Amino acid sequence: MSAEQATVEEALYSRGKVAGVYPSLTTRSDEAYIEFIEDARNLLLHAQQRPIGQYSEQLMREADMSMDPDPENTSAAIDLLMQDPTLKTYYRVKRSLQESFWSALSGSFNKRRETILAAFEAAENQGPGTLAYDKSGEQPVQDYATREIHIQPGGYANEALAGLYYDYGLKVFLGGAADFDRLSKGVAMATAVPEDGKVERILDLGVSAGATTIALKQKHADAEVWGIDISAPMVRYAHVRAQQAGADVHLRQMPAEDLDFDDNHFDAILAMLLFHELPVPVAREVIAEAFRVLRPGGKFTVLDFPGVRSRGVYSMFFAEMDAADNGEPYLPAYVRSNVEDLLVEGGFELESYDPATALMRGRVAVKPLD
Amino acid sequence: MAKVDDDALAYTEELPGAKPNDPIYFENEVIDHLIGIVLELGAQFWVTRDRLAFLEEQLAANGTVSLEDLEHGRPSDELQKKLQEERQEMIRKVYGRLYQRIGGDGAEAKAAIMS
Repeated sequence: MSAEQATVEEALYSRGKVAGVYPSLTTRSDEAYIEFIEDARNLLLHAQQRPIGQYSEQLMREADMSMDPDPENTSAAIDLLMQDPTLKTYYRVKRSLQESFWSALSGSFNKRRETILAAFEAAENQGPGTLAYDKSGEQPVQDYATREIHIQPGGYANEALAGLYYDYGLKVFLGGAADFDRLSKGVAMATAVPEDGKVERILDLGVSAGATTIALKQKHADAEVWGIDISAPMVRYAHVRAQQAGADVHLRQMPAEDLDFDDNHFDAILAMLLFHELPVPVAREVIAEAFRVLRPGGKFTVLDFPGVRSRGVYSMFFAEMDAADNGEPYLPAYVRSNVEDLLVEGGFELESYDPATALMRGRVAVKPLD
Repeated sequence: MAKVDDDALAYTEELPGAKPNDPIYFENEVIDHLIGIVLELGAQFWVTRDRLAFLEEQLAANGTVSLEDLEHGRPSDELQKKLQEERQEMIRKVYGRLYQRIGGDGAEAKAAIMS
C-alpha cells in the first residue's frame, strides 16, 4: 500500500466502513447518536407520511378546500394546516432532527478534520481516475450554489468536508436506502443509452459524493465516464470514493451551465437530483449545455421530483414545507416549472416520462438526429 | 413556454423552516424548544445506554475493558442488532404518543420514501 493510500485508510477508514461505503464516524458514541437520529427519522417522519397525509387531506376536506395546486390555493392550505398542533409537531420534529443530525455529524468528522483533508490531498494525484478543481479557491462560485442546501453546515461549496457530510447525510436521510450504494446502482440501470448502443462517453452532472458516477462506470466499464460538480469539496471527496471503488472516472469542478466540453461529445448524460437544486433560469442554461455536448441520438436522463402537473394541493403543500424545513430554496419553482417542458423547450424530444417513477426512471430526453 | 412566477411563490419564504436559524413552528416558542429538548435528551440517553451495553459486553467477554475500545471499537454484530431493536422500541414508546391523535403511533419503521 502506498503512503498516500495509507493516509486515506488511516484518516477516513480507521474504524472501517459503515454500510459498505461510508467512512465510520470518529467514536462509538458519535455513531450511537446518529443511529438514534436515523431510527427517529424513520419512525417519526417516514413512517408517519401516510397518516400525516391522510389527516391533512381530511382537514382540507372538512374546510371544503379546493384541491388545485396553484400557488394561491397551496398558500391557503399552508395557512389552514399549520394551525394544527399535530402537524406543527411533525414539521418541528423534522427540523429538529435535521439540525441535531448535522451538528453531530459535522462535530464527529471535525474531530479529525486535518487528517481527513490531508488524506484528500494525498489522494489527488492517485488513480484510478483523474481529478481537477480550482485549488486556489479564488474562482468564484455562483451565488445560487452557496446556499446551505439541506441546511448542511457550510453548504456544498464553502465547507471543505461538504462531500463527506453530504454522503453520510444521504445515508441517514434515506434511512438506509442508499446503503451499499444500492440506490446508485439502480440509477445507473435507469440511465438511458442511445438506440444505436454506442456508449463511449458518459457525463454525470452534479456528482455530489460520486456514488452515481462510480455506478455508471461499473455498469459501462468500457466507457469514459466523466462527472462534474460546481463544488470543489464534492469532487475532491468523490475522487476518494471512486478510488475506494476502483472506479476509473474523471471528476472536474465545473458548473453544469458552462461545460468545458466539445459539442456532440457525449453519448449519454445523467442528472440525478440536480434540477431541483437550481434556479429555473440556471436549469434552462444547464439544459442548453446538455443539448450542446450530447451527440445527436444521445440520451439525457433526468431523475428528479415530479412536477406540479402530476400533483394535488397536498403534495404541493408537503413539497413546499419540505423545501423550507430541509433547505431547498429552489424546489418550489422547480416543481412548478415541470422540467420535462423545459427539456422540450431546450430542443430535446421527450422519449418517456411517468410521474410515478420520476425519481427512479425519470425523464428520458433524446437529442434529435437532425 | 413553461413559466414560473417567482412573486406568486413569495409565500414560501414566510414558512417557518425558511428561517435559517431557530425557526419557530408554534405560537408559543417554548413548545418548539421543548420538542428539541426531548429529542436531544432521547439521543443522549441512547448514547449512554449504548455505551453501557457495550461496556457490559466487553467485561463479560474479557473481564476488562480499555477506554480506547469503548471510544473507537464497536459492539458485536449480535449486540448491535439487539440494540437496534431496543432503540426502535424505545423511540416508539417514548415519542409515538406525538402522533396518537392521527393513529400514527403504531407505524412500523421503514426506509425512506421520497416525496
